[in-house]
Order: sequence, then structure tokens, then C-alpha cells
Amino acid sequence: MSKIWTLCLCASLAFLVGCSSGGKKVSRIDANSVTDLSGSWNDTDSRLVADEMIMDCLNRPWYQTMVQQKNGAVPTVVIGKVRNKSHEHINVETFVKDIERALINSGKADFVANAEERSELRDELASQAGNATEETRKDAGMEIGADLMLTGTLNSIVDQEGGEQVIYYQIDMELTDIQSHRKVWVGDKKIKKFVNQSSVKM
Amino acid sequence: MKRLALLLLSAVLLTSCANKSMTRYETLAPTLEKKGFDATIAEVKKQQKDLYGSNSEYLYYYDLGVLNHYNRNFDESIKNFEKAEKIYDDLYTKSISNEAAAIVTNDNVRPYRARPFEVLTMYQLQILNYLAKGDVDGALVEVKRSQIAMQSLYQKDQDKVNDNGFLRYLSALVYELDDEKDDAAISYYKTVKAYDESKMGLPNEVYEYVTESLRSLDREDDIKDLKKPELASTPRASAAREKGQEIVVIGYAGHSPILGEMYLSGTFVSGGVMNLYYKDGETGNKVSFTLVAPPVAGAGSETFHIGFALPEVRKHNSRVDHFEVSMDGGNRMKPEKVMSVDDELRRNMEDEKTTTITRTAVRVILRTIAAQKAKSATNTGNVLLDLVKNVGVDVAQGQLEQADLRVGLFLPNSFYMTRIPVDAGSHSVSVAAQGSHGETVGVYNFDNIAVRKGQKVFLIVPAIK
Repeated sequence: MSKIWTLCLCASLAFLVGCSSGGKKVSRIDANSVTDLSGSWNDTDSRLVADEMIMDCLNRPWYQTMVQQKNGAVPTVVIGKVRNKSHEHINVETFVKDIERALINSGKADFVANAEERSELRDELASQAGNATEETRKDAGMEIGADLMLTGTLNSIVDQEGGEQVIYYQIDMELTDIQSHRKVWVGDKKIKKFVNQSSVKM
Repeated sequence: MKRLALLLLSAVLLTSCANKSMTRYETLAPTLEKKGFDATIAEVKKQQKDLYGSNSEYLYYYDLGVLNHYNRNFDESIKNFEKAEKIYDDLYTKSISNEAAAIVTNDNVRPYRARPFEVLTMYQLQILNYLAKGDVDGALVEVKRSQIAMQSLYQKDQDKVNDNGFLRYLSALVYELDDEKDDAAISYYKTVKAYDESKMGLPNEVYEYVTESLRSLDREDDIKDLKKPELASTPRASAAREKGQEIVVIGYAGHSPILGEMYLSGTFVSGGVMNLYYKDGETGNKVSFTLVAPPVAGAGSETFHIGFALPEVRKHNSRVDHFEVSMDGGNRMKPEKVMSVDDELRRNMEDEKTTTITRTAVRVILRTIAAQKAKSATNTGNVLLDLVKNVGVDVAQGQLEQADLRVGLFLPNSFYMTRIPVDAGSHSVSVAAQGSHGETVGVYNFDNIAVRKGQKVFLIVPAIK
């Protein structure tokens, strides 16, 4: 009988130790790994969409036409407004940075600073004009004008019933010729997620 | 004897368990009244564990979201509401152990799931947070989240009103700012429907903007469908569209009601009479009445003690009743009431009445039976000792019974709103918070408000007094 009690006690202790080993655990994972926790828009979505859309964009016929028009020089792109019209507070800045990275790394396009960055650079230029030495001072009016502007929107549709939710994201991007306002490329990427939340737990 | 000692100890321990909801209100309300928003925010944070605890985590972040909104800490308010929303979403999954514990103790041991109107005000204030920051995209996200939340509430309780006219109206305004005219018109249309569903009448100014929006998009049939007297003209809404700029004044008047406890207790003999009494929350008078007691299977001539607690709305005597607004020293305008939290809470209590009473009845019956069993099982044969022990069991049982009085503490009693079409440039606005007899309780001045072309500037007036 006493053995049974000892066994029960050991089992209880083991259970308690098991319970108490909860709390926060941190482990490093590959930055490129696919992770889905809540079903919300995440870094994986941002990265995959940016990579796929830029690849699609630069492999379309407009690209060769423009390179020929520019006598073999690659087009210069500026990123315009990317609007978040979804149901989530998506960090658009991270998405825009992913697009910039994908564009630069492709080697198929030149890239100029966007309106906000240009304003900051111009302030710096103005500051240099009055403060930097003549040899190191940079001249105004030497900026490279972009050929194309990339704009886009992030949209979402949510369908739900009880604990089940289907989230559909559609990311639309457009590349517009700044001179002629002609749209040279329109692309989209769709993501669909199914989220299931249990209604009870122990 | 050991069992008796244990029972008495339990009774003593349980006696010390006060209802946190009452303590929370009694601690924080004077701080808000005397020391203002900063001090109340600090007090809420300092006493999180004592006043809220883990079961009212939603309310902790909700209250902080509301207070920071009043205090114009819009970023902090946004962060806190986001945390509250996450908790609300996660609580979709109910814990069986919590629910079981609530049946034998009281509903306060369950995590607090927000009342529908609290969920909707959370989105209203989030929309206003983003609008006050000038972030239309952020406000648009909240509009969409609110629509998903409303759909979810309707799926849960189709028979109850889970719509909100003010939220629909704000949504229309955000769509207008985003130049989504069709979405704005649909939201305006739904605004009227939502007001019709609620007790509150449709505010005149709201109807003017609804009419103007629907007319501008040739949705005359929609106007007819609303079955309201048609407006001959819409001067203010038309001016807003022509000018393109507006100053929008949002006034929060008074303090929302809280929930008090109506505790009924008494004794009965199986199949005999049941004497019950309770203390009237409004007058403080003790009221007693007698009912026919239900027969209890197997019961003899022993007396049964029962006690049950139900929540009831307790209204504050708010000093601020309405507002008067003047712009650039011009004529005074009276913003209309666009939402009454008092009505919302009462409607919620009415909606929840059957569920609350059923849960309370099941709980009380189970506990009464358990208490009787405990009394019989611990009988010592000593009349005096058994009497003391039985009283101890009844006291313990009574102490366990607490109504769930949890509700957001810092909402206003009423929301007021007016839209003033303006030219681009600099303006000054003065808002007088007035009592029910027209006496001025406070004046809020906004000088040198810069309004850019096409901009809508939102002014927040938190007269929570």
C-alpha cells in the first residue's frame, strides 16, 4: 500500500514539475522560415509578396521595351504611396522596404529615394551649402529623375462563422511611367488563410 | 472537530473576499474627480493586481485606453485598446474549468468578456484616436475591424441589437475622408437603421448628412426606404461638401452608470414559506417579501438559507449634460447627442437578464444543496456546536455569492458631436460643457486650429464630470 502512495506522490510531483516548466522560452529561427501564429499579416507575407511581385514585374515585356528606349540603361524607379486598405494595421513601411530590397537586389532597376527621403536629403544639401567645405559640398540640381513610379494597395476580405475565419488578402501594385502617366505593369498577389479557433478548452 | 474547524476557517477566509468591481470604482472614481486623467492612469497601473486581477485584464486595458484617449495620449490609447481587443478575441475560447468554477462560486471567477457596447465603443474610440492623429488609413482599418466585430456579434446573438448608430456614422465619415463615396453612402444608410433599432432617436444633424450623401449619389430610393420625413435642403452638409474642410467636435458628457449589487437573502422551510429581503440600491431601504417555498426532496423541518446577488444599473448624477460650441466668436451651436451609454448598458442588462437569472438560480440551487449536505455530514450531535457550525456554513455560502458587476469605469454618459464646415486656415473653437439647467461646468478653448485644404480636424472634449 505504501508503495502505491509513493508512486502517486512521485507522479504528482512529476506532473507539477512539468506544469511549472512553462513560462517564456526563446529560441532562434531562420529569418526566412514560414511562421503563422495568429493568421494575421506577418513578415513572411510581406517578404514573399514583395519578392514574387517584383520578379513578376521585371520579367514582363514592358521591361525590355523600356531598356531599349533607354539605350540599354536600366529604368529608374521611385516608390510612391502603398496604401493599407485592409482590416489590419499592417506595417506598410516594412512591406515597402521589402519591395525596395527586392528591386535593388534584382539588378534590373535603379532606384531613387522617395518623396520623404528626398525632402530630408534636400535639407541636408541646403545645410551643406552653408556649412561644408567647397571640395566636399554636394551640388543641388544633380538628382536623377525617376522613369517609373511604383504604387499599390493592400486589401482584405474576411469571411467568418463562429470560430472559423477565412482571411483573403489581395495586394495590387502598379508601375506608372512618370512622363506619360501610362501604366506599364499591373500585378497582383493573393493570399488566403484559414483560421480556426476552438470554442472550448480545459 | 477538524471538519468543523475547516469549515469555520473557510467561512472566515471567504468573508474577506470583497467584490473587486466595487473596490475598483470606490478607489478610482474619487481620483478621477479630484486629480484628473494623469493621476487616474497612474493609479490604475499601480493597482492593476488589486483592482483588476487576471480575470479582468480586458477591463484594465480598456479603461487605460479610454483614459489615455481623454488625455490626448492617442498612441498610448491605441496600444491599450489593441491589447484589450486581443484579449477579447482570445476569450472566444471558453475554459471549461473556469465555467465549472463559476457555477459553484460566482461569475467573477470567469475572465471578463466585454459587453457588446463596450466592444463597439472600443472601435469608436480607436477610430477617433486615428482621426485625431490625422491617420485616415489607420481609422479605415478600425472601421473594417468594427464591421467584422459587429458581424461576429450578430452571428452570436441574432435576436439582440448589436449595431450602433454613432459607430456607423463615424464609419461613413472615415469613408468620406478616404473618398470612398459609395461605402460612405452605405454606412450613412446603415446609420439610420442602427439608430432606429436603438432607443435613441436619429439626431437631426446626422440625418442631414445622410440625406446629402445619398442624394449626391442618386440614391433617392434609399432615402425613401428610410421612411423619414424628407428634408427640403441640407445646408450644413452641402456646405461641408462644397468647402471640403470641417471641424468636428466630439464631446463626452458626464460619467457612465456603473453596476451595483442587489443582494436578496432569506430562509425557507421545504414546502412552507420563503422570507426574502433586499436592500434597495437607490433608496437604501430594506425591502422584505414572502413567497411560497419550493419543496426540497428528502428535506424535513430544517431551514434552508439562500442568498443571491444580481447586478443592477446605478446612474451617476453627472454634472455635465450637454455642450455649446462657438467658432471664431460666432453664433453658439448645440451639438446633438449621438450615443447614450446609459441606454446601452440598460439594454445590455435587459438582453442578458434571462441568462443572468438562470445562471444565478442554478448556482444558488447547487450551492444550497451542497451546503445542506455539508451541514448534515458534519453534525456533531452537540446542539450548540451544530448551530454555530451551520451558521458558519450559511455565512460562507453567502460570501461566495457575488454578482458580476464588471463594466468599463470611465466611459461618458453621453457622446455628443457636431460638424462645422470651415474655410481652410486658422480657427478658434470654444466649447462650454453645461449642466442640465444650462449652467457652465467647464470651458474648453481650442485656439489657432490650423485646417488644411480638404482636412477634417477632430476636437475631443472630455467633460467626464
